[in-house]
Amino acid sequence: MAEHVTDRLSLEQRMQTAFAGVVAAYPRDGVLQYCLDESRLPEVARFLHQKLQGRLALLFAIDCRPRTQKYEIHYLFALSSGHPWVLLTVELGGSARLFTSITPSVHAAQWYEREIRDLFGLIPHGHPDQRRLVRHEHWPQGLHPLQKTFPWDKVMGRQQGEYRFRHIEGEGVFEVPVGPIHAGIIEPGHFRFSVAGEPIMQLEVRHFYKHRGIEKLFEQCTLSGALPLAERVSGDTTIGHSLAYCQAVESLLHLQIPRRARYLRSFLLELERLHNHIGDVGAICNDTAYTLAHAHCSRMKEQLMQLNDRLAGSRFLRGTMAIGGLTHDVPATQQTEVIDTLNRIEKDFAELESIIFANASLTDRLETTGVLTERTAWDHGAVGVVGRASGIDYDVRRDRPFAAYDEVPVNTVLYRYGDVRARLRVRMDEIHESIRLIREIRQHIPQGPIIAAVDYMPQPGEWGLSAVESWRGEVLYFVMAGDDGHIHRCKVRDPSFVNWPAIQWAAVGNIIPDFPLINKSFNLSYAGNDL
Amino acid sequence: MFRILKKSLKTGTVTGQYPHTQPLVIRTPGAHKKAAPFKSSLTIREVDTGSCNACEMEMSALTNPVYDVERFGIHIAASPRHADALVVTGPVTVNMEHPLKDVYKQTPHPKLVIALGDCAINCGIFKGSYAVTGPVERHIPVDVRIPGCPPRPVDILEALASIRSLPSPSEE
Repeated sequence: MAEHVTDRLSLEQRMQTAFAGVVAAYPRDGVLQYCLDESRLPEVARFLHQKLQGRLALLFAIDCRPRTQKYEIHYLFALSSGHPWVLLTVELGGSARLFTSITPSVHAAQWYEREIRDLFGLIPHGHPDQRRLVRHEHWPQGLHPLQKTFPWDKVMGRQQGEYRFRHIEGEGVFEVPVGPIHAGIIEPGHFRFSVAGEPIMQLEVRHFYKHRGIEKLFEQCTLSGALPLAERVSGDTTIGHSLAYCQAVESLLHLQIPRRARYLRSFLLELERLHNHIGDVGAICNDTAYTLAHAHCSRMKEQLMQLNDRLAGSRFLRGTMAIGGLTHDVPATQQTEVIDTLNRIEKDFAELESIIFANASLTDRLETTGVLTERTAWDHGAVGVVGRASGIDYDVRRDRPFAAYDEVPVNTVLYRYGDVRARLRVRMDEIHESIRLIREIRQHIPQGPIIAAVDYMPQPGEWGLSAVESWRGEVLYFVMAGDDGHIHRCKVRDPSFVNWPAIQWAAVGNIIPDFPLINKSFNLSYAGNDL
Repeated sequence: MFRILKKSLKTGTVTGQYPHTQPLVIRTPGAHKKAAPFKSSLTIREVDTGSCNACEMEMSALTNPVYDVERFGIHIAASPRHADALVVTGPVTVNMEHPLKDVYKQTPHPKLVIALGDCAINCGIFKGSYAVTGPVERHIPVDVRIPGCPPRPVDILEALASIRSLPSPSEE
C-alpha cells in the first residue's frame, strides 16, 4: 500500500514539474484526475503517452445535459503497473463543438475520436481522418444518438451516401471487397483488400454493421436493471462484460464484495476463458485445414459448455452476476465436479498439444503469418491475447487486481513474435494457467455470504470505473449515475475496439488466403466493437 | 501417426452425448409443406443481423462432433446461393437491413427462413432502439421461430428435425 502512495506522489510531482498549474484530484480509488483547459490537453496527452509510456485505454464523451449545458471529454491513460489510472477531463461549454484531436501524437485515439464525432456531433479538430465510423453513410445528416436531445427510440430515415475507402492506384493493383456477410458462421463486417498479385498491400476494416445502440439503451435502464444488457454486449464474453459492469456500479455504490463472491467471480471468469480459448485453438487449426485438432477442441469446448449449463443453467453462464456479488452459490460438490472435468480436459488437451506441434506442415502455416510488431501493437494500445503475443506485458488480473486475483495471483503469459503461432501459444499457455487458477481458487475459497446488500443511492453525476481481463482482453466500463438510480452514461469498451485497427497492419504483406487464419488468431468480437 | 490414432481410439464416439430437451418451436402453418423438399438434405446459410454472437456460437456448436448436424443431412453453406434455408439471428439493425434483403433475394426458391433466438423473433433486449429496425419478419417472411437466448444446440436440432417431419434426435 505504501508503495502505491509513493508512486502516486511521484507521478503527481512529475506532472507538476512538467505542467505548472495543473491540479490533481482523487475522485475514486486508483484514479488520478486532471481537469484541463482544452488548449493544454494535447501537450499533457503527449507527455503521458510518450514520456511516461502511458497507454490510452479509453476516450469518451459525456453529454451533461440536462444538469449543465456542457460536454465532457475524458481521456483515460494506463501507466505501468502500480500507478493509478490517469484521467484527463476537458469541458466543452456553451455552443462549442470543436475539440482538439490528440490522434496526431497518440495514434490509439483515432477510432475513439471518430466515434465521438458520430455519436455526439463534436468535431475532433486536426484529426487526419474525418470520415464517418459508427454512422454508416445512409444515416441522415445531423443525427448524433448519444446527444441527450436524441430520443432513444427514434426511427431513422435514410439518405444516399457512399463510404470512401482508401484507394491504392497503380498497375496491377486491384481491390477485393469481402462482406458484410461472410462465408461460415461469423458476424457481419466489411474488409477491403488492396492487392498486387498475391500479397495484401492494404486492408481497410469497415465495421459497425451490428450497431444496436447499446450505450443509448443503457441510459434507459436503472443501475441494477442494466445487467442483462451488459451480458449481451458480446455473448461470448458474458462474464467479462457483466463482471466489469457490476464492478463499475459497485465502485459507484461504495460496495464491499464478500470474499467468497470475489473468489467465485474469478472462478467463473476463468471457466469462460477456458471454453473460449479451447474453441479458438481448434478454430485456428481448422483454418489451416487441420480438422482433427478442431474436432478434438470443439469436443472439449462442448464438454465445458455443458459443465457451465449444469453450474448456472446457462451454457454462457448468464444470470450468475449480480450487483454486490453473485445470484447463486457454487456449492462444494459442484466445485469438485468442475475440478474432475478440468483434470480430464487438461490431460486431453496436453495430448492434443503435442500432436499439434508435431505437425510440421501446420506450424509452417502459423509461423511468420500475420505478424503484429510490438511497436504497432503499442501504438494501437493493443490489449489481451493479441497484445501479449506481441510483447505487450499487460494483464489486468496482475496489474490492477480485481475479484480474487490479489490473493490468487496469475502468471502472465508473454510471447514476443506477434505471429499467429504466438497468439496460439498465448492461448494454450493460458488454458493451463486458467486450470491452475481454478484449482487454486477451489483450495482457498472461504465460506460466507455471496452477496452484499445495496444501501446507497448515488448522487447524479457520481461515477465508477472498472477493468476486467476477459478472455479476449481488457474490458472497460465507465458508469455515471443519473437521476433516481438511472444511468446517465455508460461507456463500454470491448478489447475488440482497440484490436480491430491493429489487424489492418498485421495483414499487410500476407496473402489473402491467410487472412481468415490471421483473423481467427485475433478472434475479435464484432458485436462488442459495434455496440 | 500412432499418437493420432491412439487419441482417436481413446476418445471413442462422442456423438449424442448431450442432455435432451423438449423445445418450444413456433412455426407458421405452411412451414411443413414448405420444408417437404428438404426432408433428406437441408443446406443452411447463417445470417447474423446484429446478434450478440451467442447464437452464432450455438450454431457453430452444431457442427462439433457431439451434435454432428451432418448426420441429419444438414450442411452449412458458405453462400446464400447454395442454401435451402436462411437461419437469421439478431434484431435487424439499420445497417444490416439491406444486406439481409439482398441475401434473401440471392437465395434460390424454394427456401425456408428460420428466425433463431429471441432477438430475431421479437428484438429481445434491443427492442425499440434507434439502431434496430424490427424483427426479421418485418423484412422477410419467416417460416420457423426457435426461441431462446440463445437457444441450446439441442433445441435447434429438435426444431430442425420437427420442421422436416423427422423423428426427434432424442428418440434415436
